Amino acid sequence: MKSKIDLSSINYRAILFDATRCIDCRACMVACSVQNNVPNDVTRIWVAGDAVMGEFPDLERATMPYHCMHCHDPACASACPVGAYTKRPDGPVLYDPNVCIGCRYCMNACPFDVPHFEWNRGVDEHAEIIKCDLCTPRVDGGQEPACVATCPTDALLFGDRYELIQIARQRIKDHPDRYIDDIYGETENGGTSYLIISHVPFGHLGLPTDIPNEGVGKLSESIMGATLPFAAAWGTVLTGIAIGSRQLHKRKQNHADEADKVSEAAPANESASVSETADTEEQP
Amino acid sequence: MKIKIRIPDWMLSPWVMGMVILSAMAILISFIRMVVGIGPVSNLNDAYPWGFWISFDIYTGVALGAGAFTMAAVVYIFDLKKFTPLVRPSVLTGFLGYAMVAVALLVDLGRPENIWHMIIYQNHTSFLFEIGICVMTYLTVLLLEFIPVIFEGFRWNGVVHFFHKWLTLPLVILGVVLSTLHQSSLGSLTIIMPAKLHPLWWTPFIPILFFVSAVIVGFGMVIVESQISARALHRGIEINLLKVVASWIPYGSALYLILRFGQLAVEGKLGYLFTSGVYSLLFWIEILLIGIIPLVLFSQKKVRKSPNGLLYGALSVVLGVVLNRFDVSWIALGGRIFDTTGYVPSISEVLVSFGFVAASVLVFRYIALHFPLFVDEEEYQEENTIEQAHPVKAGD
Repeated sequence: MKSKIDLSSINYRAILFDATRCIDCRACMVACSVQNNVPNDVTRIWVAGDAVMGEFPDLERATMPYHCMHCHDPACASACPVGAYTKRPDGPVLYDPNVCIGCRYCMNACPFDVPHFEWNRGVDEHAEIIKCDLCTPRVDGGQEPACVATCPTDALLFGDRYELIQIARQRIKDHPDRYIDDIYGETENGGTSYLIISHVPFGHLGLPTDIPNEGVGKLSESIMGATLPFAAAWGTVLTGIAIGSRQLHKRKQNHADEADKVSEAAPANESASVSETADTEEQP
Repeated sequence: MKIKIRIPDWMLSPWVMGMVILSAMAILISFIRMVVGIGPVSNLNDAYPWGFWISFDIYTGVALGAGAFTMAAVVYIFDLKKFTPLVRPSVLTGFLGYAMVAVALLVDLGRPENIWHMIIYQNHTSFLFEIGICVMTYLTVLLLEFIPVIFEGFRWNGVVHFFHKWLTLPLVILGVVLSTLHQSSLGSLTIIMPAKLHPLWWTPFIPILFFVSAVIVGFGMVIVESQISARALHRGIEINLLKVVASWIPYGSALYLILRFGQLAVEGKLGYLFTSGVYSLLFWIEILLIGIIPLVLFSQKKVRKSPNGLLYGALSVVLGVVLNRFDVSWIALGGRIFDTTGYVPSISEVLVSFGFVAASVLVFRYIALHFPLFVDEEEYQEENTIEQAHPVKAGD
């Protein structure tokens, strides 16, 4: 049944999840734990969604293995102060625990709340961020990701992102009664490598539905880009004010000496203090 | 035969003793955290990766340290020399506040042993990287700005003269630039979270709002610090200087109100002002404390001349900005996918934060008692009558 994909022909790796096929067996989670050699409660994916919805006899199942979305413009990589995240040109977003400082900004930056943290590890035990890596070492070695390989109902499909979108469109076209006419991940946060088609609105699968269609890191990055020019300009302005106010005060002092009068209290550039002239007038 | 036991002064005062105990508890809990991890000592979780430590130690600590750069700018950049007596205490508070930020960060970081990675693995798209570099550099700048006071204590007059002649102004300019950057960037950290931070707070203009509120709270903190240290250390307050500082705050508050409402209007978010329940309420409390109360109080000469009026107006600003930082970094920000978990800080989290504050207060007290922190008074006494804030009592 499972089509053997030629992994070497994939230009841009992605996974397509079909919610109509998921039976909530959680075999993907077990496979993930085994693949990454971690205890069963430390899987990098987890099953989300409302589970069984509706009233008998109109029951519906809504479950989904929640992966890292492997965004085109990953917010985690944009936010990480030390660049512990990298976006591979062929899709996966990878995390390097040896670079990580544990600030957890990625967890707040990720619009999908994907990165998890090992809260119960001390300094000696090197706490890490837990995140799906799209089984990159496994795929590099010629195998499908563990969750995909293990899924008994083919709810998960691994392949080239462009081709997977075609497959998703075809399924929606063939069964318009079964699917909602939308592919989650095609545009969310600028596009992702985890694509979802579903029979229920995506919110019921546990997905956030208010994600902008542009990468959330874009705006932040463009403002960040202005930092150095701004700093240089601001430093110049401050230096100018410092020199200007000294000269102004010196001139005022000379003026005052000449006139042999009390100097005026506040300099013009500190506008706030002008109002206080009466209060601040210095006595000779 | 009688044995005389000398008890150190600090053991006699319940306040000082309490702060010593708090500091010790903070150190103990930090040690436990290093051994067993963040989870067992805190209530942080995957839905709330940032909690009380970030909101209080980092966001609040940095905002309340703003007095150092605002007063340094007033004296050295705007050349208003008569405010010099206010610079030293605020630079020391700034330095201790930032040192506390750095120490607390080590407790909060998941891999504190890697903190130096920020220097070698730089990610130039990250506002947190910018903040890290700015805070590291600024801590050094503050130390250099303050160290002449220590040299003065040792009477190394040549070094002191060298500092004042050649280093102070460049250091102050660098310090103001660094402060502008990281004060505003603490707000910019949330620009990447448009779907997570409540719309009343999320805006691309947040760096400007953070900077303006930092300047206001910097002036507010100068007033609060002076009042508290006057009461605790039994010295007079510089009322003639403080009333001028207070007169600047209404301009900042008015600007803040215009910017905040202008930004909401431009982004079409005015509807949220009344429709977001507790968030709308929090927003209005911020507006009241940062904007309206100081605007009304400090516009009156009568209030600015009374020590209590100064204190209440300044406390309003401080509390308002603290609330704003808590809202932005914690209350109005949350993971939405696991929002059932919720987050309330644990007692150990609060103890660690308060303990580090207590430790910095103890250091401040020590320096105030042993080094010429407030010496400039005699020099400026002629122009500025020093009023006694509190009758002098024995013991502390």
